[in-house]
Amino acid sequence: MMASRSIPRTDLGASHEGFLRHRDFLWLKIALALSLLALAGYALIDVQPRHNGGSAYGYALGTIGTFLILWLTLLGLRKRAMTRGRWSLKAWTSAHVYLGLSLVVIATLHTGFQFGWNVHSLAYALMILVVLSGLFGIVAYARLPRQLGASRSEMTRSQMIDALFKLDRQLHAAAQPLGHDDTRIVRGALDDDPFAGGLYRRLSGRYPACRTARALAGLRSRLASATADQAAALESVVGLLERKASALARIREHLRIKALLEIWLYVHVPVTFALLAALAAHIVSVFFYW
Amino acid sequence: MSFLLRTVSHSAEGREIVRTRRVEGDRLAIGRDPACDVHLTDLAVALRHAAIERLGDRLDVAVEPGLTVELNGRKASRGEIDLGTGGDLLIASHVLRFMPTPAGSDEIAVSVERIAEGEAKLDKGGERLFTLAPVLPGKRLMAWLLALLVLAVGLAWPIKAYYERRERADTFARFHADQIWSSGSLSAAHSGLKDNCTACHVKPFEAVRDTACRTCHTSVHDHADPFRLARARPDLGRWRRIELAFKEKFGIPPGRCVECHTEHEGKQAMPVTAQRFCADCHGDLRKKLPDTPLPDAGDFGRSHPEFSPVLIAGWNAERPRLRRLSLARRPSEDSGLKFPHALHLSSTSGVAQMARRLGAPYGFGQALECKDCHDPAPDGARFQPVDMEQDCAMCHDLAFDRSGGVTRTLRHGEPAQVVAELRDFYRGRAAPRPSVLAPAARRRPGDAPDLRNRIRFARGPGSAERAIRSVFSPGGACFDCHQVESAPAGSLAFRIRPVAFPVRYLHKGWFDHRAHSTQTCSSCHLAERSKAASDLLIPDLASCRTCHGGEGSSKAVPSSCAMCHDYHMDAGAPSMLIRRKVRGKKREEAVAEARR
Repeated sequence: MMASRSIPRTDLGASHEGFLRHRDFLWLKIALALSLLALAGYALIDVQPRHNGGSAYGYALGTIGTFLILWLTLLGLRKRAMTRGRWSLKAWTSAHVYLGLSLVVIATLHTGFQFGWNVHSLAYALMILVVLSGLFGIVAYARLPRQLGASRSEMTRSQMIDALFKLDRQLHAAAQPLGHDDTRIVRGALDDDPFAGGLYRRLSGRYPACRTARALAGLRSRLASATADQAAALESVVGLLERKASALARIREHLRIKALLEIWLYVHVPVTFALLAALAAHIVSVFFYW
Repeated sequence: MSFLLRTVSHSAEGREIVRTRRVEGDRLAIGRDPACDVHLTDLAVALRHAAIERLGDRLDVAVEPGLTVELNGRKASRGEIDLGTGGDLLIASHVLRFMPTPAGSDEIAVSVERIAEGEAKLDKGGERLFTLAPVLPGKRLMAWLLALLVLAVGLAWPIKAYYERRERADTFARFHADQIWSSGSLSAAHSGLKDNCTACHVKPFEAVRDTACRTCHTSVHDHADPFRLARARPDLGRWRRIELAFKEKFGIPPGRCVECHTEHEGKQAMPVTAQRFCADCHGDLRKKLPDTPLPDAGDFGRSHPEFSPVLIAGWNAERPRLRRLSLARRPSEDSGLKFPHALHLSSTSGVAQMARRLGAPYGFGQALECKDCHDPAPDGARFQPVDMEQDCAMCHDLAFDRSGGVTRTLRHGEPAQVVAELRDFYRGRAAPRPSVLAPAARRRPGDAPDLRNRIRFARGPGSAERAIRSVFSPGGACFDCHQVESAPAGSLAFRIRPVAFPVRYLHKGWFDHRAHSTQTCSSCHLAERSKAASDLLIPDLASCRTCHGGEGSSKAVPSSCAMCHDYHMDAGAPSMLIRRKVRGKKREEAVAEARR
């Protein structure tokens, strides 16, 4: 995603240090310090009858949490401008990740571990969802790009599509001598659209209704009962179908990894805005019924 | 006869390419088989799909069994084409257009064209096809929808409910959207208000005020004068000052009810006030309020003043003079009664003997016990005042005569009546010995028959006056228990000093006898050693401290201030005890609860 933008790669690649270990985990340390401070306050300050968001300490944690959330959201704006240096985008992302994680500590202490079916716990749940999706994103970005590169076996995406397209043409030509029943099976395979599956197919990489696989199975069984002159045509079609199946599998694996790389943002971003709305409702409601 | 086939195809640039071929004969075979007259490469076409045969001025269309074609837009398995009007035959993706042919013409023109198909669909979209964008709604759209949904449900809807409630009271009963704002259940005592948010949250954006609490709580006192209360407050620390500054900024008055009585903390009893809430001010109250009559008090085990019961210190004529005196000063009480506890509780005295003799009807054992004379009040917390007829008369009988099977008794509490009765008794008959004076009838245990009395009676004739005087004199029925004011010379107007007992000694603290039912009376009240009624048998601080310690004490019963004292009330049981329902429970349970 970031890579698709035009970055002058020349000097970025030379001394690459990921955003996670940016400046020797500076932001991890800051976030840890913040969390420990919050925990110490929670342990030392005696709130009667028990900790809650409405105590003085609760208000303080709530205020810190609110500003953190607002600042974390700003990454969405900040990332559109890539800069370097002290306040580089990398530093910003590093801070985003670690401060975002410390938010879990701060917000949980703010709740005083009191949860219910209300707008306050809704805001908390949404926040946790955003953080979890962000964590998923970090893991995905750390592990999946390598697999993604491997999955395309030195082919560009359009080459992958092209290969499929060529196989379809060859199949079409090779199937010409086949009888009508056989061609119906082959046509099914030809109509296979590798991009047709929904979200679940994309994420699981499983396509049980794949017509190419069915055609392959069907024609293989036909091969047993075919006459000699049919057999030659059937064999070449089966061979082509096998190649198409592997081409499809390659594209689908590529799709699966790509989907895993992207899916977290489809949770992270919309839920962040839901969180902002819930946060607004939480704050207004608290002061409305003060 | 012949068919003129015009095969139309398109170049990559869209240019039309037409190849013309003539097929001789009046039959036209159509199929994927290359041997067919019209060879269609679409795999949806069967090897031999259909055949056209010219029959005069029409064409007969025969389709292989099980297959179909589209003839002039209609699906068919066989049909005819009128040559005069021509017709379209659609087989899979190919359309065969038979041109109108004049009757008698030898040649039928047929154009064969493949209808363009989205074969190139994979090329379109390119990179985008590989992303999730085609299978999911856009992030921006989802963000807007979710945010608006949350704002509508979590903010707009409850606000609407608030304004609806102001107009219509019946909205309480059903679901009301502002309950999704509730951060937790109300305490058990306030659970009736759970559907009535505005009972406490009166004005939007205004923190709950005491006036809302006072709507229902009309009779709680303020603990002390607000100014003295403010002066007694512990010095504000830095954080308290900051907190106070914030409160001032946001218009929250300090010292509101809800500061201690926090709500929405779950459906439970209100939490017990911690000891430090009291000790913060009372620990060194004298320093801040030099004129206070209250001694400093903190932890019960370490810094609690000696108890100061309210007792009868003396008498103003007929009215008892009540005074609060510290037990440290070993005060004595002037109840007006003569009563040696030690004598009554002894297991060897004549009292014990009499108890054994009277035994069963009164439930006496081998000796008298406290319960034989003291009856608990119905609530069990305290005892009823001792009543002569009820609690003493089974032994201290005032009978003086038996008349027709009825025992006549002197009227207790009315000395003038006693004088009149006795006088009447002597006037009416020759003087037998009044039964009050007879040793057998004077059923006073432990007292050897009063020799002096008998002699005095035997000496003279039984005059009424003498009998009356002896009743009110040492050894007489009245004199032994009461203080007698002797009559003026020549008169028989003896008077008895009034008797009074305080119903409650400790007015600022609470004590419940039932909570202590596992203890014997004598473990706290040293009655067995008390020889005079003036001994105050209220147990002192040290006695209580054998079991009770402060809030964090390791004694059997750690006791915070709230166990005996109530911030807002003096009269009844402290709300802590009511809430914990300690009253009437066994001590073990109470202890276990207090420990929790």
